[in-house]
Amino acid sequence: MAEGLDQIADALDIETFVIAEDEAEAIKAIRQIMTGMGLKDIDVVYCRHLGPGARIRARGYIFRAGDRYGWLGEGK
Amino acid sequence: MGVAKKVLLAPMDPVHDIGLKMIRRGLEEAGHTTWLYPPGYSPQEIINGIIENQADTVLISRTLGYGVEEVLARFVDLLDAAGLRDRVKTAVGGMAIRPELAAELGFDGGFGPGTTVEEAVAFVEGRDYIPAGRAGGKQRYELVGDYSYEFKNTAIRSLLGRITAQILAWAGERTSPGIERAYLRRQMLACAKEGGNCASLKKDYARLCDGVIRGYYETGGLHPQTRKLEAGELSALRRYVEQTKAKMDPAALRHTRQKPGVFVQYGTGCPSLDVAHIKIAEAWGADGVVHFDPSWGARAEGFMEGYLTHQEDGSVITPENLSIIREALQDSTLWQVRAHRGLNTPETVLLAAHTGADLTKINIAYGSLGAGTDPERMTVDGVQAIRFAAEYGLPFDVVTNEELSGVPAHKAFAGMLIVADLAISLGARPILQPLFCNSPEVMINGYMADNYVDFNAAKILALRNIVSAPVWPGAPIGFLTQTEERVQSSMSTGLHAALAASLGVEAISIASSDEAYSGGPIAAASRTDTLQAVKEAFRFFGQATILPTPTASKWAQALEAGIEQVLYSVAEMGDFVQAVHNGLLGGREEGAYPGRVGRGTVRRV
Repeated sequence: MAEGLDQIADALDIETFVIAEDEAEAIKAIRQIMTGMGLKDIDVVYCRHLGPGARIRARGYIFRAGDRYGWLGEGK
Repeated sequence: MGVAKKVLLAPMDPVHDIGLKMIRRGLEEAGHTTWLYPPGYSPQEIINGIIENQADTVLISRTLGYGVEEVLARFVDLLDAAGLRDRVKTAVGGMAIRPELAAELGFDGGFGPGTTVEEAVAFVEGRDYIPAGRAGGKQRYELVGDYSYEFKNTAIRSLLGRITAQILAWAGERTSPGIERAYLRRQMLACAKEGGNCASLKKDYARLCDGVIRGYYETGGLHPQTRKLEAGELSALRRYVEQTKAKMDPAALRHTRQKPGVFVQYGTGCPSLDVAHIKIAEAWGADGVVHFDPSWGARAEGFMEGYLTHQEDGSVITPENLSIIREALQDSTLWQVRAHRGLNTPETVLLAAHTGADLTKINIAYGSLGAGTDPERMTVDGVQAIRFAAEYGLPFDVVTNEELSGVPAHKAFAGMLIVADLAISLGARPILQPLFCNSPEVMINGYMADNYVDFNAAKILALRNIVSAPVWPGAPIGFLTQTEERVQSSMSTGLHAALAASLGVEAISIASSDEAYSGGPIAAASRTDTLQAVKEAFRFFGQATILPTPTASKWAQALEAGIEQVLYSVAEMGDFVQAVHNGLLGGREEGAYPGRVGRGTVRRV
């Protein structure tokens, strides 16, 4: 896990505007970006494509319910 | 409708089924037979229902995200096992659904959040979905409206008449390098159109420019923060515009009201990025866009030429930059080029008109007090700019941004009405632009301690009591109420837009959700945030109105009385320029300083 990620309460959202032909292309692009950042548990929260591209919010879960949360400082 | 379908609708969800209920109603109205199952049925029970009823279509919904893939995959497996896959058309929709997920799982259709009943009915009937009201394309918003420009307040009308006569007589005996350049520019444009040799005209033009601008014409040198766009960049931009235009289907922002039109400002510094932002704003429903030039452009004598990109806020005005932006606009988009504040005001109006702009922006008082231009120069140039606006049929707004410096609204409005009356007398069409803002005056006096409604409403009520003219609050609405937090910023913009709609104004200029962020350029995503917020605000209120408290009427009366008093003082002084210097339209103690740029450049003719 990248340094600092364990301080995130649960998820890291990335919001942006992607120039893309359609919604599928925008989602593919944002997934590639987030995977490249080392995020694994990825979802697209919101995506709306109009005209030149898509307004998109993608999410990388760092912790889900039931995980051991890094920010608790367990073992430190 | 073709053949009536037999449609089974099943919420594969413990509780949620409202979407399917709405779709069922739509399907039955269209003549189809339906069965709607209650929430909580298992995949096997739904399969059994398809068989029993001999349904030819099944619509599944799923709102909860937990385990969605597993549940739906099991349903598709059972469908296959029952031998129904080839004869039953399947679709899944709901908050947890994305079209690509539906396709991966083998559904024929997938409908995410925001799907309409009509869209679902079209799927069942096997036809393409065309959104209602969008098939004919977006229409241009009619901004100026049917206003008489009659002054209802006769005392104010009389005072303005005296002030206008004085300004016109004074300005009629004077000219400036800005005016001379504008006339040369007109000749240069005509010369270029005829394919003539324009070198001598350019030489004359250069003589009237500042050092850096003159250097462009003499040696080809550029302003330090600018560079020329290369041929490859320009051809890529033109290709991008062509491709993007082909897939544009702008959203509608207004719900049931006809007004207001919604404008956004652009001015990223680069024509290419401007075009990108404009196309996004258009797609998300903006009715118009406003060209925002760099602040140094207002303080420099003259314009450069060519396709120039700029590394700071504001996009450089050149004939070519304006042309390439104009080319990129949808036919339905209104385009405003601001000319209100600096040494190139008349030429900007001229260029705007020649490039095909729909609107411009002129205010002598603001230009003199809030933008740093010498009042004498601004008055001479402003009058000529208004003459050009009248000649070319270019309506313009009279912005009152001096309020942001601390000038009280009644003084800013007095200045606005002086310019508006000048415009009316010269045959132009002014649009009043009061600010919807939490200005220094408001903060000091606590006018918005309780709400943001009353003082803004008072401004509109006061103006309506004075004159029949279009009103376009700006610029942007909600100025100094927005923070860097995008939800707060967007919501504030949306609520101010709702107030504007409730007050029945003609148009509004809105910020992006980056309005309060000053660390860098506005990002494209923040453009969509506020447009979406405005759309939601219009949807929320519909025809309902926002009711100001009785305080708004009291403040409107006070504003009107204050305006009349200011105009009386200006008229009595008999010298508009001196009145500006003396602080009658905003003084030093209020944060307004008569500008110095262009001082001593006005000469008698």
